[in-house]
Amino acid sequence: MAGKPKKGSTPTTDRKASPAATGVSIIGEESLVREYATSCAACGMEVTLLSSDNQSFAGKPPHGVRRTGKPPASTAIALELTNTSRPDKKENLRSLDALLPPSALILSSSVAVTLKTQSAWVRHPERLAGIAALPTFLEGRLVEVILPPRASADSLERLKKFFGALGKETAVVKDSPGMVMPRILTMIINEAWFALADETASATDIDTAMKLGTNYPHGPLAWGERIGLAHVHAVIEGLHRGFREERYCVAPLLRRAASAAHPE
Amino acid sequence: MTSTIGVIGSGTMGSGIAELAALAGFDVILNDISSDALRSAMLRIKAELQKSVEKGETTAIEATETLTHIRPRHAFNDLGAADVIIEAVAEDLPMKKDIFRRLDLIVAPGAILATNTSSLSVSDIAATTNTPDSVVGMHFFNPPTRMKLVEIVRGAQTSDETISKVRELALAMGKTPVFCRDTPGFIVNRVARLFYGEALRLLGEGVAEVPEIDRIVRESCGFRMGPFELMDLIGIDVNYAVTRSVYEQFSREPRFEPHPIQRRMVRAGTLGRKTKKGFYPYD
Repeated sequence: MAGKPKKGSTPTTDRKASPAATGVSIIGEESLVREYATSCAACGMEVTLLSSDNQSFAGKPPHGVRRTGKPPASTAIALELTNTSRPDKKENLRSLDALLPPSALILSSSVAVTLKTQSAWVRHPERLAGIAALPTFLEGRLVEVILPPRASADSLERLKKFFGALGKETAVVKDSPGMVMPRILTMIINEAWFALADETASATDIDTAMKLGTNYPHGPLAWGERIGLAHVHAVIEGLHRGFREERYCVAPLLRRAASAAHPE
Repeated sequence: MTSTIGVIGSGTMGSGIAELAALAGFDVILNDISSDALRSAMLRIKAELQKSVEKGETTAIEATETLTHIRPRHAFNDLGAADVIIEAVAEDLPMKKDIFRRLDLIVAPGAILATNTSSLSVSDIAATTNTPDSVVGMHFFNPPTRMKLVEIVRGAQTSDETISKVRELALAMGKTPVFCRDTPGFIVNRVARLFYGEALRLLGEGVAEVPEIDRIVRESCGFRMGPFELMDLIGIDVNYAVTRSVYEQFSREPRFEPHPIQRRMVRAGTLGRKTKKGFYPYD
């Protein structure tokens, strides 16, 4: 699933404009870790990849990126990038929270688990912010973020500065299952799987129709593969858990394809 | 080989399809019960062709030629001369059924009867004729001259021969055909429901405001337009009607449930750009 970041994902921000050697520690799922590590390192940040019992970075780390077990003392920002396993996410957040000084900001992907739920797992929830992290989303110009309920005054500034250094705008949204874009997009992908399952059309025709009929940048089925079906599945499961509505049931065929692609 | 195409209904879609067919070199019989509507459709087509000439997409000679290929006809029986008839009247099932019932009496044997319905059942419409094997869905997108896609919809009894003929026709018109079964909303109007539906829910739940949701959708994933600006462009009433139709045909499947915000806007008459007020003001 982890691939080379696509062309165009390399931020074009002037290196001089980025904060001098911001220490960034990253843990989570390999595809997301690779994208963030590559982008951060390309912007002159000092990047360290962390590992846990269940998650470690198997491939070759991007150029200029270190690999250790524990976050270095210089860590100003830590990223937790797990969507498909709640236990791993919980363990990672607890360990980051315990190891990092309270001044360090933790940015945690909140597309499959709400920030509120995650806040209950840590001792310092006021420094835990949510981000919409799905594979390929760093190709965009904007990142959605969620501020913690009792955020310190400079949290938003630090978030904006961090993503600004990566060449991204930020949009603050309310803490809600699936946030904004992941929710809309995964539900479109889910419907495409339902349509495929009831033989409305072939996979190719479904994707062609959505690209040409509505100008979507990618066909929904191919888009799901780009993101990774396990991540898509995790977002919709999170919506179902959050809303307890039949509307958010994962298409059975998508569920099957996701578990085949990600046997755990 | 198809040589003459009949188009029923001279609204936006009907006149667009007539123009498209004439541009592709077919003879077109454009039919409407209203002579006034036919007259204004011809003026609209002429203006569209003029625009294409100005943009350098068509030569003045081609534009004149194209116009002469379109015969506006008020009399329904004149459609009997067409090899393929494309019905493009409003999304009203009884009206469409009535048209197909009458077509059945006048068309030549072997003629293909296509409906440009966006969400009604092709099989239902076909059942009113004695030749359901020659009835097919041919769903064009607005504006038909510019949008590349045509959904070719196979009704319960549509023959392979009919499908293959309309495929050829779509290709001759320069379109990309996709094939789908006769399911509610076909492909596009079904899958796209979630784009609007989830955006409306996010708004209703106060997760973000209208311009912010549009900005996120445009900037984070490369969609050309956000859901609210797109609904304003399409017309909130049109979007709501399609949602309701798909929802009812799917036996009220919760994924397609129409949102109260949209219903309120339809009742209030704030329908988007065409009423100068929708999710955004247009002054």
